[in-house]
Amino acid sequence: MFGALFLKEWREKALVFFFGLGILVIFFLAHLLFPEKKDLLEWLTYAVLLLFFPFLALILASGGFETEYRDGVWAYLFSRPVKKAVLWLAKYLSLLSMLLALWLIFLAVWSVVPALNEFAGGTRILLGFRIETGFPFWSLLQSVFCLTVAFSLAVLHEKQFNILFLSLILGLGLTAAVWLALNSGLGAHLAWTAPATAVTAFLVSQVLIALAFAAASILTFVRSDFSQVRKKTLSFVRWGVPFLFGALGLTAAWAILAPGPAERYISFLYSSGGDPYYMTQRGIFKYSATADRVRWLVKTNRANYFLSSAAAGKIAYGVFDVRSKTDVTEELWVMSADGKDRRRLLPAAGKGSTWPAGMSLADLLISPDGTKIMILAQRSAKVTPGERSPLWVVNADGTGLENLPGDPALLGAKIEMRAYVYLVAWVQAGGGVLIAQRFPAPANTYRLWVYDLKNQTARLLLDNALQASWFSPVSPRGERLAIKYQKTAGKPWVLALLDLKTLGTTDITGGDERVWSGASWDKTGDQLAYLIRRAQPGGPGAYALAVYSLTAGKTVSERTMTTKESDALLLWPAWTADGAKLLVLDRTGNRLKVLRPDLSEEKTIAFPAPVRLPAGLQTAGDHVLIEDGETDTLWRLDLRTGSWKKIL
Amino acid sequence: MSELVRIQHLSKNFGRKRVLEGFDLAVESGRVYGLLGRNGEGKTTLARILMGVIPADGGEVLYKGRRISFGDSAYKREFGYVPEDPFFYEDMTVRGLLEFNARFYPRWDRKRAASDLERFALDPKSRIRTLSRGMKLKLGLAVALAAAPEFLILDDPTSGLDVPTRQDFLRDIIRELAASGTTILFATHMVHELERIVERLLVLHGGRLIVDEDFEKVKARYQMSLEDIFVSVVSKG
Repeated sequence: MFGALFLKEWREKALVFFFGLGILVIFFLAHLLFPEKKDLLEWLTYAVLLLFFPFLALILASGGFETEYRDGVWAYLFSRPVKKAVLWLAKYLSLLSMLLALWLIFLAVWSVVPALNEFAGGTRILLGFRIETGFPFWSLLQSVFCLTVAFSLAVLHEKQFNILFLSLILGLGLTAAVWLALNSGLGAHLAWTAPATAVTAFLVSQVLIALAFAAASILTFVRSDFSQVRKKTLSFVRWGVPFLFGALGLTAAWAILAPGPAERYISFLYSSGGDPYYMTQRGIFKYSATADRVRWLVKTNRANYFLSSAAAGKIAYGVFDVRSKTDVTEELWVMSADGKDRRRLLPAAGKGSTWPAGMSLADLLISPDGTKIMILAQRSAKVTPGERSPLWVVNADGTGLENLPGDPALLGAKIEMRAYVYLVAWVQAGGGVLIAQRFPAPANTYRLWVYDLKNQTARLLLDNALQASWFSPVSPRGERLAIKYQKTAGKPWVLALLDLKTLGTTDITGGDERVWSGASWDKTGDQLAYLIRRAQPGGPGAYALAVYSLTAGKTVSERTMTTKESDALLLWPAWTADGAKLLVLDRTGNRLKVLRPDLSEEKTIAFPAPVRLPAGLQTAGDHVLIEDGETDTLWRLDLRTGSWKKIL
Repeated sequence: MSELVRIQHLSKNFGRKRVLEGFDLAVESGRVYGLLGRNGEGKTTLARILMGVIPADGGEVLYKGRRISFGDSAYKREFGYVPEDPFFYEDMTVRGLLEFNARFYPRWDRKRAASDLERFALDPKSRIRTLSRGMKLKLGLAVALAAAPEFLILDDPTSGLDVPTRQDFLRDIIRELAASGTTILFATHMVHELERIVERLLVLHGGRLIVDEDFEKVKARYQMSLEDIFVSVVSKG
């Protein structure tokens, strides 16, 4: 009997189904006939996914009980020996199958028509864009959601238009409410900390809300007096309201309790007293080598993990204003390295602040003595571009906020910050700051500037130059900066040490050597490990790890690591805490090499299986910390025992 | 005769209007019950409650000694129901409706369905929307009979029938069913129709039965036509 009811529904709604099919045929023909009109096709695709499927679902379902009402058949149908829940389900599943049949046709043609394939990879589109955009998986769910809500409401009234309208108001209204909740102050935290959880929370809410409507509808259908409209409506409300509250409550519970990725990103901040600090979107963490545990110093769900600076026992960091709905960072905070004395510097509280509303932080750098913070600011749309430069400086206690005049050559003719300007290092004694400028076109070229805080002027220090490492280019005592530069454009990059007091440079490499990748200082600041590429006549060249000693004034050891460029890209050196050994993160072999001072290999240690993309390497006491870029987790290796432990 | 259906203290309101109140009835199998009542007295309501179309507000119904609730459906396989206004899916054909119904009833009698279509001059290919009210009533009757019910509820089914069919229906079909042991509850306000077929007379008034007696005894006591008996008992309340 289920089949009879199911097929009856198909027969009744066949016209709507074929109407939908016709629209899809037109859509596919448009792709075949006008493959060159990409904008039109993209618009059509979005129209089909965003409008066609949900509205078709609404049209199908809002008339779900139309014939029973119109022909007065409901009483006849109820007198048949079939459970009312089966009646409801048979009709619902029949309509759902029509919708899904159209979806399958859409996806099947999508996967075989080359013109359509340009937009996405066949049926994988269901999963491929799930996290990135929630689309078109979202569209499929939304159309099923619309179908369920409209069908659930259809038991209440005979007029299809009224049901369609009510479904739009209630269905889309509740969807919008959940979406707004996720974008509100509370929900936005979730969006930042676990975007996948936020997206799935939204999808879960759709499923639960739809189920709430369906449950209220079935109970009304099964238990209420269909001949009395008021009673029936009250029954629906009596069931529906608690179910809806339950659905929203479960959504909130799911968002809070669902296991999601613990971290979105992990970014090494700095080391103090031998203990490394890490920053994630959840706040700032300190690893204690002696206690072998991570301490959560600052709990904030809005930390900008890319925007932080630490020196002299102080940490400055940026915080997103998640309510702004943009990616701007509007708050600057500072605290001591033990997590105490935390305070917000910008925007400053009270009147008289010269920090314009809507300014966001683009980069910041705390001075070696921890007294000043240099800021690169970026205007959001709310701030009128004007005379102010993006260079600011503020004392670490929040006083003395000053807007510094910028050099148009560095910052642009209208003194607006160019996209690729960043702060590199403080010049010793706090007299100035090194600023790097990157020009993406025609090729990546760099300039290194020094900004004199006393004269408030910028001076070009080196052309075609940048720091040699993104993570720790400055020597531990802040005396030198490892840089790489080209003496002449197009010539090999040279590794050099920039004296941060005199601003003089000392070349470390030369001749046919090419600096290959980042440098790593030992804890004393006397030895610098780096990777170079040596040309080989007729060969691909060899990639070597070398150690330069400032005391000796020369490269004291060298070891060829690989001849493959792809493998060389995956090497990363770091010194042990006592400076006695050099560690090399070998991502190709997914292992860590422990090298003696003469760079002979002492042993190799394999990474544990869950570590898939080791991305960073820090040492603390006898421990090594490795960031896994794939899972955003932090792993600790005990060099004495060789044991691994996931610590974050 | 065994008791087929027992109705106890049944009540039903529509808003503030009380239609059934403390309604009691015991239906024995194999008998023909005639339920008389004025318009709006609750005959259709009673039929709909028995068929699980609408819920009762109070009381209970037992079928073969087992309590049936509003959500139950299995007992309906043994019930036949011809409503006063038989509404069907208008776009279905006569044959389509029979096939649709055939899947609900395990004892569906296809031969009976075919012969009744012929008897009632119903074209299997006709769309239901093209049928007159009388033809729809015949179709409803054909569906109900093809299900081979033990208990047949007829809710004023003859009011739209032409005279020959009504005669045929009352004289032949009802008698034939009664002879085969089918229990029949014939609700109507057209008193004279019952006279020829009824075995036990039920008169519904004010939400409850004011007469529940063998028709022969009632007739003997009142010594008047059924129409006059009806008017008499209803006027007394």
